[in-house]
Amino acid sequence: MATAELTYAVRSIRRNVRRTFLSVLGIAIGCSLLLIVESFNRGKNELFARAGAESGTGHLRVTPAGWRVKRDPRMRLAAPEEALRRARALPGVAVAAPRIRAQALLAMGTHVVPVELTGVDPAAELLAYRYARKVTAGRWLDPGDAGTLAIGRAIADRLGVELGDELLATTVGRSGRIESAMLRVVGIVTTGSEELDLTVSHAPLADLERLTGLGGLGEVTLMLSDWRSFDAARAALQGRIGSGDEVLTWPELAPDFVGHMKQDTDTSRLVTAIILLVVLIGVASAQLASVLERRREFAVLSALGMHGVRLVRVVLAEGVALGLVGALGGLALGGPLAWLLAHRGVDFTRLLGRSYAFGGTVIDPIVYGDFGAWILPETFLVAVVATTLASLYPAWFAARSDPAQALRVAQ
Amino acid sequence: MSDLVLEARGVQKVFGEGRTEVRALRAVDLVVQPGEFLALVGPSGSGKTTFLNLAGALDLPTAGTLSVLGRDVASLSRRERAELRLRSLGFVFQAYNLVPVLSARENVEFVLELQGAGRERRRRAHAILEELGLAELADRRPAELSGGQQQRVAVARAVAARPRLVLADEPTANLDGENAETLMHLMRDLRDRHGMTFLFSTHDPRVVDHAVRVVTLVDGTVARDEPHTPERPHEILPRIGKARVGAEG
Repeated sequence: MATAELTYAVRSIRRNVRRTFLSVLGIAIGCSLLLIVESFNRGKNELFARAGAESGTGHLRVTPAGWRVKRDPRMRLAAPEEALRRARALPGVAVAAPRIRAQALLAMGTHVVPVELTGVDPAAELLAYRYARKVTAGRWLDPGDAGTLAIGRAIADRLGVELGDELLATTVGRSGRIESAMLRVVGIVTTGSEELDLTVSHAPLADLERLTGLGGLGEVTLMLSDWRSFDAARAALQGRIGSGDEVLTWPELAPDFVGHMKQDTDTSRLVTAIILLVVLIGVASAQLASVLERRREFAVLSALGMHGVRLVRVVLAEGVALGLVGALGGLALGGPLAWLLAHRGVDFTRLLGRSYAFGGTVIDPIVYGDFGAWILPETFLVAVVATTLASLYPAWFAARSDPAQALRVAQ
Repeated sequence: MSDLVLEARGVQKVFGEGRTEVRALRAVDLVVQPGEFLALVGPSGSGKTTFLNLAGALDLPTAGTLSVLGRDVASLSRRERAELRLRSLGFVFQAYNLVPVLSARENVEFVLELQGAGRERRRRAHAILEELGLAELADRRPAELSGGQQQRVAVARAVAARPRLVLADEPTANLDGENAETLMHLMRDLRDRHGMTFLFSTHDPRVVDHAVRVVTLVDGTVARDEPHTPERPHEILPRIGKARVGAEG
């Protein structure tokens, strides 16, 4: 861009200081709102994704081929040892937890509760399953345990059991016969949701194998260091395991939860779009007013030989300059707030209680924003691009002004 | 290609249509030779400004052919007409129309830069401002200049790139007698020294006094086209210089 054009653009911005100030203020407020909303949304998505994955779903799961359709807990991995070994060796995997599931009845005296009994590796499960860390009475399963059980508070209450009590676990065995075993309660878990408490009934892997009479593993659940990399990790793992097993991602495993998340994200995006639209209209309006006030000048410049593209460039340069200053102001205004949001979080306890369930998962009531390295440049770029786009119509208007007509009107 | 600066044959210009139709030019025939100092006179509404707009490629004729510096204006695209104005035409407007946020020098440099002049544009702008006795006012913005000074800056801007044709629409309409006289001497001087052609519309007899040809438009047609002998001697250089700068009101 020519120096004279740039000089003209910059000085034109300073011509009406009040309008320029209001435009910049509008952009700055929009930019800071964008920054905070985006930071909050990303943080919330991170929270939901982590909560969902740590509630048992995992980021990836190796299952027997066809399990996704049948969902039959009696199905077993074709090559369980290889699947577990390959999963644990995969880069980016934080933990790989082997599991067996069985539909069972837990009974104490005359009280019975139907559950999905899960056989686990206690050490791996402690890392992969967040509720294993929510034991409020007793302890979590130990690696050397046999005949032990950790259950949710709601199950304990319904059965009227205490720590150390033995429960009768009954399930359908391999040949269709009823199989049963006594399991001693060593830990009671309180998730914060009665509905979720009813899903916690975990025993060592070996006990489940004995009870069901089915050897091997039903699944291997993986937690990744970076939850967003699940697609790449799935592709890498799928290529390393046998064809009798398949790797599923958490959106495939928990489509309802992902649907809830998507709906929530779409709502947030709508809010962001409305913010951007308001800023766009405000800037476009101010720029158009500025162009209309200078119709005579643009006509003169056109008469002197300045063609449309150059006129467009001048108005766009004004828009970019406003966007740059406004975006910097927005970052100065919203940056500290977003930083606070990321470090102190927003506590929704008074609104939602100490925890709340979302899509069958307990979510912490404190939401921390995401203040990653991306956030400042990305927000800055969006604000500048949006402001530039808002200047397109005024620029087009300036470029199409007829010099002869404008001069006639002016004179 | 013709050497004529301007050639109009049966040029018509109609604004609006139906009941609101206005025939600003009916059938104008006019030929302008290089180096002419031509005054276009006539009563208000006779079509002077309309003809200047056409001659400046700011507008297109409704009918007839208009050739400016050998190029048929009607056949040029919007961008080509802009290029023609930039490279070969200069404009002086009645209301000066300087860019208010630029200084006198920057106003002149602006056009030179549009033309693609490199670093020498500052030297060239300074030279033309000095030639017109404005060197000491170069850094002032239009609002800090008198009407006469602004119009001289406008002339400097119009001629800085040495256009072949300078179009001036009522250039002295807002100037007092002394400033109008100074401006006309300046333009005559530029024409004599640089061989530029001047075509200006005017009601002002002081302007007509300097013309070497006077074309009278009446109701959108050429009523008279006659040579004219300037009554006042050309005495520009002794009257314009640093001593007079800033002395104008």
